[in-house]
Amino acid sequence: MITDFNLSSELKGNSLVMKTSGYINNVAGEQISEEFAKHKDGGIKKVIMDLQESKVVNSIGISYLIEIIEKLNESKGKLYFMNLDPTIEKTFSIMGLFQFAEKTDSVEDALSK
Amino acid sequence: MDKENVNLEIKLPKVPDIELVALEGLDKMGRHLGISEEKIGEARVLVTEAVINGLEHAGEENPYINVEFTMTKEKLIILVTDYGKGFNPEDVKEPQISEKVGSSNKRGWGLKLMKSMSDDFIIESGSTGTKITIIKNLV
Repeated sequence: MITDFNLSSELKGNSLVMKTSGYINNVAGEQISEEFAKHKDGGIKKVIMDLQESKVVNSIGISYLIEIIEKLNESKGKLYFMNLDPTIEKTFSIMGLFQFAEKTDSVEDALSK
Repeated sequence: MDKENVNLEIKLPKVPDIELVALEGLDKMGRHLGISEEKIGEARVLVTEAVINGLEHAGEENPYINVEFTMTKEKLIILVTDYGKGFNPEDVKEPQISEKVGSSNKRGWGLKLMKSMSDDFIIESGSTGTKITIIKNLV
């Protein structure tokens, strides 16, 4: 059963941790992008996306993540993914996302990098 | 019903998130046949992208697509047909992440994902519509 999308976020210093649940489609992607935009001017250097509760994404939703990668690149920041479903990880690999973003085992691990 | 060969045919209208209807059917068929979560996960990507792509090309005159799954324990065949104006697959440039970062158009990944995640991928397109056939081995 694919659930409705939900997003929660938490600031940890200059890092933004976003946790999603449900289907990441265009609307969800836009919501993620808007949440990032709220904090971007505050000097965010790292965005950590915990996708443990998201089992399905579509390529339009992912295009919003590419937008975040681009904006973080401009400010020498980095996007981290954690708790990726194997299919989502394969999808990101096919698209080449890991050329610009990293996988991390935990929030603490990403914060220490 | 022959337990070794299950078939689903649905006509999907152009409404937001309608691909989830197809995914529900896919999940139930997969569970019925005992397909691994790994293979069903990859099939979900194929179905999601094929439905989104089909509805995008369906146009306003015929704003729906036909979706057909034929699943055995070994193989899934996905057919998605739209009745739009068609397109030339050769005109579609393969997206590269290095080009998408910094570009205003970050979309256009559907065909690449379908080709990469499937075992066979065929597009037949003409002025009255497009049929995409995707074959996915399930073992």
